[in-house]
Order: sequence, then C-alpha cells, then structure tokens
Amino acid sequence: MLRDLRVSCSPHISEHLSTRSVMIDVIIGLIPAMAAAVYYFRNCALILIPTCIISAMATEWLCNVIRKKENSLGDYSAIVTGIILALSLPPRLPVWAAVIGSVFSIAIGKMVFGGLGANIFNPAMAGRAFLTVSFGALMTTWTVPAPLDAAMSKIAPENTIHARTQATPLAWSKEVIKGKSETKAVNEQLKATITGEVGGCLGETSAIALLIGGLYLLIRRTINIHIPFAVIVSAVAFAGIFYLSAPEKYAQPMFHLTSGGLLLCAFFIATDPVTAPLTAKGMWIFGIGVGLITILIRIVGEYPEGVMYSVLLMNAVTPLIDRFCKWIPAGGKPSV
Amino acid sequence: MEIDTKGRLTFSGGTHPPEKKELTCDSEIKKGPAVKQVAVMLSQHLGAVCRPLVEKNEQVQAGQKIGDSDAFVSAPVHSPINGKIKAIGLQTHAVLGRSQAIIIEAEPENNPPKQLNADKFTDDFDENQYSAEQICDAVQEAGIVGMGGAGFPTRVKIEPNPRLPKEILIINGCECEPYITCDYRIMLEWTNQIIAGIKLARKASGCSKTIISIEDNKPKAIEVMSAAIQKCKNGNDIKVAAVKTKYPQGGERQLIKSLLNKNVPTGGIPPMIGVVVLNVATSAAIAEAVVCKQPLTHRVVTVTGEAIAKPGNYYVPIGTSVEELIEFCGGVTEKSAKVIVGGPMMGIAIADLTMPINKTTGAITVLTRKQIGRAKYKKRQTACIRCGRCLEVCPEHLMPTKIAHAVKNNLLDVAQSYYISACTECGCCSYVCPANIEVTGYIKTGKITLARQKKKMPK
Repeated sequence: MLRDLRVSCSPHISEHLSTRSVMIDVIIGLIPAMAAAVYYFRNCALILIPTCIISAMATEWLCNVIRKKENSLGDYSAIVTGIILALSLPPRLPVWAAVIGSVFSIAIGKMVFGGLGANIFNPAMAGRAFLTVSFGALMTTWTVPAPLDAAMSKIAPENTIHARTQATPLAWSKEVIKGKSETKAVNEQLKATITGEVGGCLGETSAIALLIGGLYLLIRRTINIHIPFAVIVSAVAFAGIFYLSAPEKYAQPMFHLTSGGLLLCAFFIATDPVTAPLTAKGMWIFGIGVGLITILIRIVGEYPEGVMYSVLLMNAVTPLIDRFCKWIPAGGKPSV
Repeated sequence: MEIDTKGRLTFSGGTHPPEKKELTCDSEIKKGPAVKQVAVMLSQHLGAVCRPLVEKNEQVQAGQKIGDSDAFVSAPVHSPINGKIKAIGLQTHAVLGRSQAIIIEAEPENNPPKQLNADKFTDDFDENQYSAEQICDAVQEAGIVGMGGAGFPTRVKIEPNPRLPKEILIINGCECEPYITCDYRIMLEWTNQIIAGIKLARKASGCSKTIISIEDNKPKAIEVMSAAIQKCKNGNDIKVAAVKTKYPQGGERQLIKSLLNKNVPTGGIPPMIGVVVLNVATSAAIAEAVVCKQPLTHRVVTVTGEAIAKPGNYYVPIGTSVEELIEFCGGVTEKSAKVIVGGPMMGIAIADLTMPINKTTGAITVLTRKQIGRAKYKKRQTACIRCGRCLEVCPEHLMPTKIAHAVKNNLLDVAQSYYISACTECGCCSYVCPANIEVTGYIKTGKITLARQKKKMPK
C-alpha cells in the first residue's frame, strides 16, 4: 500500500486553478460583448469571430510544431486572443484580412517571444496594429449596426454626419475638433454608445455588454480592479480637462468613456496579465498611462481612436514600471 | 463573561486551504504504540548538533540524557524508553537528508507507557515557587525546543537578554496548517498544564503581557482556554485573542502582525521588537519539565489524511518511526501518494518511512492522489502568466514569481534584489499558482544555493 510514494517540495496541495480556467473565465466575460456584436452586426460577427479564433489556434499549433514544443492549445489563450482581435476589427473587414491579423497576432505577437507568458505586447493589439498599418482603408470603414440601417434618423434626427461618412462617434468628434461639425450632435450619441447602436468595431460599441463582462471578471477575481479603474478614471479625467477648457469643441468625458474601444480595453485588453505590471502601484501607472495616451491620441493626435496604440506603448514600458515598483518586504529592507 | 470567538485580527495576504481538521479534531489524545525500537536524532533543533553521551550496547533508562552539546544554541536529547543502545549511525532526516541518530532497542518487559501529566496541574498553580533561573535551567536540561516546527531551543528564547528586553509573550495556538489538530487537542485536554507552562515562561522571560492566540475556527478551544484563564491564579494579565482563520496565521511573523500590528524586521527575530512566541505544546512541555522534572521525550502527533484507516492524535515516544505510527493507526486504506511529515502546506514529503519522528513533528499526513490534485501529482508546470496571485497572497509582501524566475534562470543576484532571504517558505504562492509552478520550491533552491555559495567564499 505504501509503495510508489511521491516526493516533492511543499506545499503538497493546490488551489483548483489552472491557466485554462483563468482563460475560460475571460472567454465567459467576453460572451456579452460577443452577443452584442452578433446582435448589432449579424453575420459580420458570425463570420469574423470564428475566423479569428480558428486561425489563431491554427497558427499557435503550427508554431508549436515548428518550434518542436509541446502543444499549448490547451491553455485556451489563443482563443482569447482570437476573440479580442475579432471584437476590435471593423465588421466588414474581409475574412482574408482577419486571418492575416490573427496569424500576425499569434506568430509575431506571441510565439516568437516564446509563447504565452513571454510576449511583450498584447498579441491581439499587435495583430490589429499590423492590420491598421497594412490595410488602413479597410480598417477604418465602418458599418452601421443592423437594427439601425433603416432607422438611423431616429437616434439623431438631424444627423447629417451619418449620411456623409458613416463614421464612428469618435470620428465625428474628430470632425468637431477640426471645426467641421457641431459638438451637440456628438454628445447626443451618448445613449447610443451605451447600448451599442452606433458604428464601430465589432465588440466595442456596446458599453453595457462590456461592463457586464468586466463585472463578471472582477467578481470572479480573474482581473484586478486596479487597471480598469485606473484606465477609466484617467480617461475621464483627461477628457474632462479638455471638455472643461472648451465645451463647444470637445466631447463630454462620458462620451469618451463609452465610445470606441476604451471599455473593451479597460476590462479585457489592458488587463492582460502577461503584458501588464505586477504590482498595484505599477498597475495604476499603467492604467493612467493608457487612459492619458488614448485621450491624447483621440483629441490631439491624427487618429480618431487611440486605445490600440496606447496599450502597445504602455506594454513597452511595463518592464520598466515593474522595475520602479518593486515591493519592499513587510519587515523592511534587510539590514545586511 | 461573553467570550468573543470571532477573530478579526489578521495580516495581509495568506490563503484559505481546505481545513480538513474534522478528520481528527474529535479524537482524544491516546497513548501511542508500544515501540520495539526508537531512533533518537542528535539534531532535532536549530543550532549545534549534539554529540552522543552513550556508547553501543550501553543500558539506558527512560529520561536519561543521551546526547548534548556545549554550544549555546542547542538542546540535549533524552531516551524515551528503557533499553539498550543498538547503534549510533545515520538515519533519514526530514530536513538534513541524513543525520546521526542513537538507535535504542526497547526491553519489552520493562517498558510501561509514559503517563500523561495533565491531571497533575490544577488552576491554583503558583509559578512563584520557582525562580527564573530554575525555570531556564530546567527547560534547558529537558531539551525543550519550539514544537511548532522550527525547533528553536526554548531556553534561548525565554532567557532574559539585557540587550533585547522582552515585554510580550505570545502563546501560539493557531495551528493554521490544514489537517493537524494536535495543538487543538492539547488545548482542550491539557488546559491547566499549558497555563502552568505559560506562567512559568512568563516568569522566566519577564514579560508583562501575555496573549494566547487561537484561530477562530476553534471556538471550543477559545472558550476552554478563556474559562480556565478566568479561574486560574495569577492569570489576570493573560488574554485570549481570537484571530482570523487564514493560512499562515500561525507563522510567528504573521501572528505578531495580526496581534500587535508590528512587523518583525526582515532577517530579524521577534525579541528585536520585545516579543517571544511559544507554541502551546512547548508551554505544556515547559510545565512538565519544571514541575514534573521530566525531559521532552514524548509528544502528541496527529496521524491523519484521507488514506489513514484510524486517524487520530497519539502521545508517542520521540524516535518512533513513521512506519510504525502509520501501522499503529491501521495502515492505509486506499492508494496513498504522499507521506508527509507535518501538514500539507509546509510539511516534507518523505520516501523512507523508517524516518523517526522528532521534537518538531506535529503530524504525519498521508495524502491520496485526489487530494494532491492531478496537475500537482503529474508535476505539470506551465508558463507564468504574471497573474500576480502569488504577490497577493505573499504574507511577507514579496514578489514570489520574480524570485522564482530569477532562481530558475540562475540569476541569484536578481533573486537577492527581490529579497529572497525574507521568504518564510509558507507555500502560499505555490498553492495559488494557476500555472502550477513550484514557486516556493524555486525559492528554497535559491536560498540553499546562496547559503552554499556564502560558505565557500573566503572572508
């Protein structure tokens, strides 16, 4: 009976947690956003999301085969990357472009660094950045959500912008900054950005769906409150500063919060533990940086949306933040 | 008086492993097996290893000193039985690998089991009949060491030191390790003996304040101890404090943080902030040594785990082999995967079951594959996803993943820059790691490697 004993270092028991269960939680958290995407963009979402997942998984499998490493599909991280990439793509993006984005995400964004845990940049954002620089026109063509196609005028009765550009609310706000349009029309879109009945990337339009998913992750303690909170607070604060300085020129801070990819970023992209700092203090610096850069790009910069670049920029300084935010032991620094 | 059994005192970090105390918490302390042979380790404590005082084939009496050392930090060892020295040789040791031990063969006809001393103590025990020196000397002679696990010689702890005056005596009855219940049973059954020991330790150390701390998952122990303190003589300044049930609440650094909201300096010891921490079993041993003049030759061991047929608490001679103890408890019922000396969080898995128990062994835990969990059993580790859970649970406010990966990549200077030496090896980080990385294991490896390097370096 007492044969075949195992010897190992303590502890000998562990919490029933695995990388896979963490990733499954993230996938569950993304379900409301995916559901909203399917509701608003119908078959566009039904094509893009599976395309990204499958091509991300296939790329990871292939990379492992080439690297002669153990198959790592079981940790489900490729699925998460695929979903997040899909949710941050324009609905009408051709399938081939989505495949290229997924392949780049996994192969260059993750696997060349050594796979999960070793990547510097958020893989999904790396893939999206690649698509943006390669296919700029495709990546900025927005579709009006399906329920709205016929009824756009209901939401913004005097909305002349819709007819002209079919752009995202953020693009409209850009027009306002450039003096081509009125702020009022933009701020009227606030309600629509909360429910998601606006143009934009697949998964980022519905603030409510993202909040539900984010709340689930917070309750499950899959993510920490620090990063989402820091991103939201800093984005609102910096947008508020601009708004107060010139209300007729800049959109409300709440509008910045609910439109574009800010909430998707706050709950699902910036919180990617691999590419975010470890300590609470570091997370706050990281989150504030993401919020600030996003608002700066949106308001001062040339692009209407800045979430992607702000995350990538802050990812790059994460090792530095970690170095600055080293913890000191509870008992103080050792005297020796 | 209403006794508050809800513990709100706590420290930051820590985990909540399943307690599993129900296996043995209702089993009274029973006499252990009538041993045929014991192996008394010459190193059962921190500090200098004892040298044997006896020779092969010599007859020894129960309670006879058989090993001692002249070093200040050390404790003598005694024979628990009447018998003949069979050999003095190497024996498997949980921490040291192999170490010298004195093997004594029992005389079967001349070995009555040791009687418990608990009923010799009443609530009107007066410690003032003994002087502080008398107490310290008796503690030293009896070879008492910290019985909670570390095994630091108790005399060194309680003896007054003019450079580090002691003010607060903390009696540790937390028993935060899952499965183990030996301290809990002692608190219930040997209450007056413990209190006598507390009074003696207080007298010897000159502490003005005494706190008995018990985790709030043992409300019965809190009630029993509080009631006994109320009744006993000279017990006015002894306080019973319920602390929150959380692992590692029983670690002395964490306990001091919980009770006094003070941090023991990194690399330092509690006396630096005027605190002495003693385990309840240790204080019971002090009472036995001073009043009954009996050395530390027996202790209560919890034999537990789902695979054990008759789990329970047993009063056994120090030196009994693990194998004999498990057999005495009916052997194992299902396929067991690990035999652990101690609890599942900090205990040491052993392969050689002839290993004897020593003064610091509070439990033998036999785990099955199910309890260990599939991933842990297969030792499958995946990449760190930097989720930060190990940082959240670290009671010492360290960055375990950083240290572990520095050690893994053989960057010991980096590990030191993350304060590897401050780790208490509680195991919380490995416990919560979703990637199943042996974080604590890497840190332990790093500490050992560093210690070895230091020894080789010329001064």
